[in-house]
Amino acid sequence: MKKLLFVSAVLVCIMGIAFAETGVKQKRPLPYEFGRVIINNYSEGAHVAPVVFDHWLHRAKFTCRICHVDIGFAMKAEETDITAADNLNGYYCGSCHNGKIAFPSCSKNFGASNSESCDRCHSLDKTVVKKYDFRDFVKGWPQERLGNRVDWEKAEQQGAIDPVDFIEGVSIKREKLVDQKDFELGAEVEGMPDIIFSHQKHTVWNGCELCHPEIFIGIKKGLTKYSMVEIYDGKYCGVCHGSVAFPLLDCQRCHTQKVQ
Amino acid sequence: MRNIIRFTVIFLLFLGFSFGNCLVGNFSSVYAQYDWKQEYTDVCAKTQNAMILSSEELKSYIDRCDTLLDHINKLEGAAAATEKKVYTKRVKMCRDLYDFALKYKEEKE
Repeated sequence: MKKLLFVSAVLVCIMGIAFAETGVKQKRPLPYEFGRVIINNYSEGAHVAPVVFDHWLHRAKFTCRICHVDIGFAMKAEETDITAADNLNGYYCGSCHNGKIAFPSCSKNFGASNSESCDRCHSLDKTVVKKYDFRDFVKGWPQERLGNRVDWEKAEQQGAIDPVDFIEGVSIKREKLVDQKDFELGAEVEGMPDIIFSHQKHTVWNGCELCHPEIFIGIKKGLTKYSMVEIYDGKYCGVCHGSVAFPLLDCQRCHTQKVQ
Repeated sequence: MRNIIRFTVIFLLFLGFSFGNCLVGNFSSVYAQYDWKQEYTDVCAKTQNAMILSSEELKSYIDRCDTLLDHINKLEGAAAATEKKVYTKRVKMCRDLYDFALKYKEEKE
């Protein structure tokens, strides 16, 4: 009887841990999955598979500003409200996927005859042979520990990638950016190195309007208090560094200032 | 002689009204042909240097963005729904940046 009670108690504990909502380690995305966005505003309603968008392929070819400022994609999945009509009118995905810059997107007549073309994007839970294999694509590029395991900054410096920052008919011709100064952000936790934030590194890919004021609204230094809890929750730096840019787990990438 | 003069004056007035209407019509159509896409390109091309623009320039760009947004809201046609959605976001982004830069300047002063 005692043995039975003991075994039952152990089983209950194991089941409790297994089904616990908190304290269970979340699965870390694989390198080719990191930055993946699933778009399903209208796909299932139209009886097609939701879209699987991989950031790694697009960020190797274009700056963040092209898509998130010039074309106008939102910074969160499914907030852009893209429809097939939008794409066919030459906006959003259709800005490039028009048969000229890249393969055409969407069709007024979806059916078996063109399903292979549609499956290139509408591929969630489908076995689709992609044109670009991730491992072959990033072969020989500088590596890092986390995220896509690609050091995108070094990849650009070394010439492995050359992201386009202007597309005729899509982008606006802008004047050269005036250099923005780096500045220091003090860490709240004692003993944690301070952060040197580089405007230059961020604006070369993002421009100004991608971050200000939607993500960073503070107009005076020190007015906004950034906490790691909020950042991990997808606010501030976490908008990008929780999904597409190098992950927040890589603390020393930001906390670089020596502790005094 | 007087009749000739009167007739000439009336005739010239008639001509003046006829061509004047045409000219006014042309001016109206010029003002009506607000090339909003070109305006968007002109206004939002300055975002890179928003932080070095003067307060007056920033206020001017904000006003132009607001006018542009009003115009975009009234678009009609087949692709209007898409254009409204796309350009509203694009113009709002650059308007908000100019507003941010203006508030930063005012706070600094």
